[in-house]
Amino acid sequence: MRTQLEMELEDVPGQLVKVLEPISSFGGNILNVLHERERKTPLGRVPVRVVFEVDEKAKLNRIIGALRRMGVRIIRVGEKEGAFRSAVLLVGHIIHTDIRDTVDRLNEIRGVRISDLNLAMGAVGHESAARVMITADDENLARTALLRLEKISRGKGLLMITSLEGT
Amino acid sequence: MRLVVIGFGNIGRGLCRTLVEKSSFLRARYGLVPEVVAVVDEYGAAVDQGGLELEKLLKVAERSNTVAAYPAKGKRKKSALEVIDEVEADVVLELTPTNIKTGKPGLTHIKNAMLAGRHVITSNKGPLVVAFKELDGLAQRQGVEFRYSATVGGAVPVIGLAKRLLAGNKISAVRGVLNGTTNYILTRMSKEGAPFEVVLREAQEMGLAEKDPTLDIDGIDTACKITILANSILGMNVKLKDVSAVGIRRISPDAIRLAQEAGYMIKLVGVAKPGSLEVGPRLVTVGHPLAVVGTLNAVTFELDLAREVTITGFGAGPRETSSALLGDLIDIHSIRGG
Repeated sequence: MRTQLEMELEDVPGQLVKVLEPISSFGGNILNVLHERERKTPLGRVPVRVVFEVDEKAKLNRIIGALRRMGVRIIRVGEKEGAFRSAVLLVGHIIHTDIRDTVDRLNEIRGVRISDLNLAMGAVGHESAARVMITADDENLARTALLRLEKISRGKGLLMITSLEGT
Repeated sequence: MRLVVIGFGNIGRGLCRTLVEKSSFLRARYGLVPEVVAVVDEYGAAVDQGGLELEKLLKVAERSNTVAAYPAKGKRKKSALEVIDEVEADVVLELTPTNIKTGKPGLTHIKNAMLAGRHVITSNKGPLVVAFKELDGLAQRQGVEFRYSATVGGAVPVIGLAKRLLAGNKISAVRGVLNGTTNYILTRMSKEGAPFEVVLREAQEMGLAEKDPTLDIDGIDTACKITILANSILGMNVKLKDVSAVGIRRISPDAIRLAQEAGYMIKLVGVAKPGSLEVGPRLVTVGHPLAVVGTLNAVTFELDLAREVTITGFGAGPRETSSALLGDLIDIHSIRGG
């Protein structure tokens, strides 16, 4: 999941490196750091926003715990966009039933996008298969997208295989 | 304990072989002395109130293809219903093949046995998917025990685990890989990259799939088991037609490869939880407890206290199934004596 951590740091050298260290050592993949020196708080602290990815909630908790023990002031922990990813397989006449239309109808949901699409063309006359990665900003949007894909699949005669976690 | 065995195919014979093999163990450990007083197959019956000799019975059935050829005590055309009515017994084991449409003849056998005051053990899914509540109620009204461990998971004690050992938990969902044939086919497809039809033929040649494999590969066998689990351990009142089932016919080697590249296996999974009864192919993360291979079965319970418990083992085969039948028999013996 993609997480945004908002912190306030003392304005002394070495602070930024200090807070980034536990994020990566506990398995976070840092994507973006915003160090806003010009927006100092009345107490003279510097706001910092770090966006990173971790694959499980337990790791995120460990990171936050480590930062708190270091005395870092954490203002907000938020899930960033694209936090929910669902892999789906489709089997059927995927191209002949207009794959572009399938993708467009998912992408038109705000906060949802198809972030990856792998297609295996079957032999002539056989069904093809596709792996679709649906990325959504939150759990509800992910569910909405899966329901829509289910409806599309039914209409186009495709077999949709979702992951067990969704059942 | 006097037993009547209805149905003498692979499962009935497997049970009798196990009774021979375990005879001294059962006596020493449980004080249980099972006596098979009647066996019925589609051509007739063998009845001996003093107890049939099982080794002789197995030989006769092998040679003549019916138990009616049992010396002196065999009778051609003697029916199961006659035997249930006439023969004094403690337990009737209903081991005839499954009929998912009407449940018959197993359903009639079980009802008549209960009405005659016999405890019933069955491996037959048919009666349970068409009339679970009816049979459960009848057993209670008649004051007899009704056990069906062998119908789900074969040797894997799915129902016993849920009903006894996890009894303090509220079970919110059951998910399972419950059909060894389809799991074997999917496993072979993923290892060899071979098409479905080729692997299915191979499974048929090995005796792992039926000549008419529809019930397995279209997910209907799994749906039967989901029906039984929903009724017996989730306390629902549902029939087979309430379960939506999709099978594995359309799974191609390409689909399996695309799943593998993303860290998944494709498994035929049955799910029973309030509001959802379904069977279909699902993506299961490699390393997940349900990601079992070959002919293995696996079932995961979602629980309020224990959180998650998964049990796995061999789902089919006469010897494996006799483990479940014998477990039920010992269970009834320890509750009711005899």
